[in-house]
Amino acid sequence: MLLGIDVGGTFTDGVLIDNGQVLAQAKTTTTHEDVLQGILAALDLVVGDRAKKIQRVVISSTIVTNALTEHKLASVFLATIPGPGMNTAKKFPVEPVEFSGYIDHRGKCTAQIDWRKHQDFLNVKGHGAAAVSGKFSVRDGMLEKELAAQLKKQGFSPVFRGSTLIGQLNFVRRTNSAFYAAATAELFGKFAKAVETALHQRSIGAPVFILKADGGTLPLQEALKQPVEAIFTGPSASVLGIEALVTPKENAISLDVGGTTTDIAFWEQSKPLMAKKGAVVDGYPTAVRTFHMRSVGIGGDSAIKKNPDGSYQVGPQRQGRAVALGGTEPTLGDALIVAGRTHFGDEEKSFAALAKFGDAKLEAQKIVQGAVATIKENIDQMLYEWSIQPVYKVEDVLRGTEFVPKLLVGVGGGARGLIDALGEEMQLPVDIPEGAMVANAVGAALSKPTLSAGLRADTTEGFYLIPEEGEKRKLPQDFGMKQAEKILTEYLQKQTAAWELPDQEVEIISKEFFNTIHGYYDSGEIINLRMQLKPGILMRLKMEDARLKIAEETIEGGKEK
Amino acid sequence: MKNTLGLTFFPAFDWYLSPGHPERQERLLYTRDQLEEEGLFDCEEIKEYRPRIAKIEDLQRAHVGVPNIARLITPAHLTSAGGCLVAADAVMKKEVKRAFALVRPPGHHAMRIVHGIRGFCTVNIEAIMVEYLRSTYGVKKIAVVDTDVHHGDGSQDVFYHDPNTLYISFHQDGRTLYPGTGFPDEAGSPGAWGTNINLPLLPGTGDEGLHRLYDGLIAPMLADFKPDLIINSAGQDNHFSDPLANMQITAQGYARLADKLKADIAVLEGGYSVESALPYVNTGIILAMAGMDYSRVVEPDLSGLRHQDKRCNQRVDELIAQSGEIYFNREKMQKLMLEKCHGVWTRKKHIYYDEEGIREEQIETVRYCDCGGYYTIRTAAEGTRFGDQSAFVVCLPRGICPKCLASAQDEALREKKTGKWMYVLIQHIDTGVVESL
Repeated sequence: MLLGIDVGGTFTDGVLIDNGQVLAQAKTTTTHEDVLQGILAALDLVVGDRAKKIQRVVISSTIVTNALTEHKLASVFLATIPGPGMNTAKKFPVEPVEFSGYIDHRGKCTAQIDWRKHQDFLNVKGHGAAAVSGKFSVRDGMLEKELAAQLKKQGFSPVFRGSTLIGQLNFVRRTNSAFYAAATAELFGKFAKAVETALHQRSIGAPVFILKADGGTLPLQEALKQPVEAIFTGPSASVLGIEALVTPKENAISLDVGGTTTDIAFWEQSKPLMAKKGAVVDGYPTAVRTFHMRSVGIGGDSAIKKNPDGSYQVGPQRQGRAVALGGTEPTLGDALIVAGRTHFGDEEKSFAALAKFGDAKLEAQKIVQGAVATIKENIDQMLYEWSIQPVYKVEDVLRGTEFVPKLLVGVGGGARGLIDALGEEMQLPVDIPEGAMVANAVGAALSKPTLSAGLRADTTEGFYLIPEEGEKRKLPQDFGMKQAEKILTEYLQKQTAAWELPDQEVEIISKEFFNTIHGYYDSGEIINLRMQLKPGILMRLKMEDARLKIAEETIEGGKEK
Repeated sequence: MKNTLGLTFFPAFDWYLSPGHPERQERLLYTRDQLEEEGLFDCEEIKEYRPRIAKIEDLQRAHVGVPNIARLITPAHLTSAGGCLVAADAVMKKEVKRAFALVRPPGHHAMRIVHGIRGFCTVNIEAIMVEYLRSTYGVKKIAVVDTDVHHGDGSQDVFYHDPNTLYISFHQDGRTLYPGTGFPDEAGSPGAWGTNINLPLLPGTGDEGLHRLYDGLIAPMLADFKPDLIINSAGQDNHFSDPLANMQITAQGYARLADKLKADIAVLEGGYSVESALPYVNTGIILAMAGMDYSRVVEPDLSGLRHQDKRCNQRVDELIAQSGEIYFNREKMQKLMLEKCHGVWTRKKHIYYDEEGIREEQIETVRYCDCGGYYTIRTAAEGTRFGDQSAFVVCLPRGICPKCLASAQDEALREKKTGKWMYVLIQHIDTGVVESL
């Protein structure tokens, strides 16, 4: 049995799944003062006497996101080795202490750290967390390693290194990732401890995983090494939940319409697309991988405001429940009712509430149009972002990388009606599958672990490097792309051996091969390879059964305040 | 404007001329690595654009291919030309203040008539962009500043009769480097005399000499010409580490130049020190064009840099005097030369295509009129991939008067009747249509 817990902004959802069937699900109120209480409440509602049968627990938590939005970050000592290039002033959340030394683009150390220049720093007594990041440390981590060791020696702990968190180019993003990892480490550590204690109290001995922004999971202990990855997991869980419910075969756009927000994601061949760039955290670009998705501040409970020109602004504020359900002010949900696009609650009340704007039916249509326009605007921006992804080859240009949607998939409470209207506007067919109420928790429960790593080999140098591992290793004989793939696959398998996973396939994210000419005569090869455990969900829900089960066993644990 | 610089980056990792050629797959690999590692694509000052595939008509506003341009190019050429057009659109639509098409294959050795590949170039991506800007946006006066170490003989050829394009090229003296041309007296045909400015520098000239030349001559000429747009053919092989040339310019030298020039659109040309120069020079140019701090862009290895000889500045001073004279007296000279040639001007050219060993002979004739007139090119080439071939080409500029149009068409028909030519072609510069009679 698989247990999924999703700690959202309003509700903490729990779900217990066995063999593709939802055995139990529960909704409790998120307890912001003590998140753990809400988790325990959800646990108690869904687990019952089945604690011993649980094989895996996955928790999707807003703890890191909240810490960031509420600026409850630990102070971090940030050290960089920027070398020549762009001035990085104002590129990081705090001004770094810069160190000398340089690794060039080929991984050659062109200057060592000159400690004589940093006498003042050597006298600093360190305390708290630190982050270290050097330009091109993914090509050789020696200077970063040396600096990290020095920081530890001076008393900083823990010390996070940019290039071992993520072995990809982009010094600024790696630095920010390392900074946020250091800034959230203590908080996340406390949370992990509390979770372990709670599960232990409930006699759940199964391994615990944390959901990440890329929709994959990490064992709790591994997550401590990269806590920033546990940010923005709510929308990712929603995407996974959709994956468990539907399999859009053609290019599709999914819209999860909640009370406050609509989460938009793109799908190709039944898989959600990953963003080409990392997440932006508090205004700073990081290397945290996420889906190519967006949250728009429009949902069924969105507030409505009439503009001077007669059009309507829908959201991003949440009004509360619709008048049809006993609310006081009309919401988007009421407008959808009056526009004849959905049916729930006391519809008379919705009509009466909208009459204050004029002809209720006419105004309702304008309100729905306003919401549709905002969503469409965001979809257009996402299409644009996707279309300008870098192209390096003539082949890419000829093939084109535009995403052409063929279908809209709507899930969530407010999907019916709103997504129909969007489909008419975009002239696309709409699919609104029946689904579990707790899609996010389902997504968390079923998510597969993910881990990615890179390999860079420059045969002129005679070494290869897996930046995440950080050790330059001698190239074996007859080295080529095939062997690079084998080495990296083995590395990923070794990393995950301790996770007690069923065999999970490894796939290539990107690969590049160049014959190079160094000077005039020496020739060599450059190989850039990136691989990952194939992400996704463990199984799809068996829908016919699931719906029955949900009807029988849904337990309403929490009530909206 | 938040987005200061539009950047079209297209390294064409699957295009090369031949294995081991300087124009090979990984030419921009290290530049890509540097730009990505710096995080430049995340800067709000920089907006990324994807190249598009240029149309054949876009190419034919600048070129006449023999037998036709489509048979001479690959999709890579359409993409690098298309990258320039995207950059041009971004600037003209005011989405960005400036743009840099960091693309390959390059183009500034490709002339109007194309029989094959010369100097790594088949089509001239700057010339294609200039003609596109004129046809699409009606831009009139354009200055093209060519900062490649090689003389841009292709660009000179395309712009030679056009007084509204000021083409300025500084380069290593042609007596010491390919293509061997680019001397001050190649200053344009009579109607455009003084708008083609060649500044051959002594080998070994460094940042000091270059900026002395820029401040002393290039800047005053640009201030006087008052172009609607400045285009930079941003070759980077004046760098001290370039394996194909002998100059001493640094990344700082190039970046400061980009900062002073403030080109509206820059287009990458040559530069073959792919490891030691391009990553830093490109970073410097991008930062300078985006209005960002470029003072920290310094090559990690400056050991190959030599101080310039004092003769380098002497040459610079001579050029300032000599070419300044040509440029600033151009209107007077144009009048005199037009009077002297009695409405018809002719020159013979021998053109060598180093890449394919093609030898081409041309006779170019310009017929002047108040409308600007038109020109014809008789071309015969030996050793092309299509064998030996010949053509009579009529070029019809924008705004040609009905009288000139009629006589140009008559001339083409007359030549067709002689049966001397394998092809008789009429180029409509404004539309990019090339008619084959």
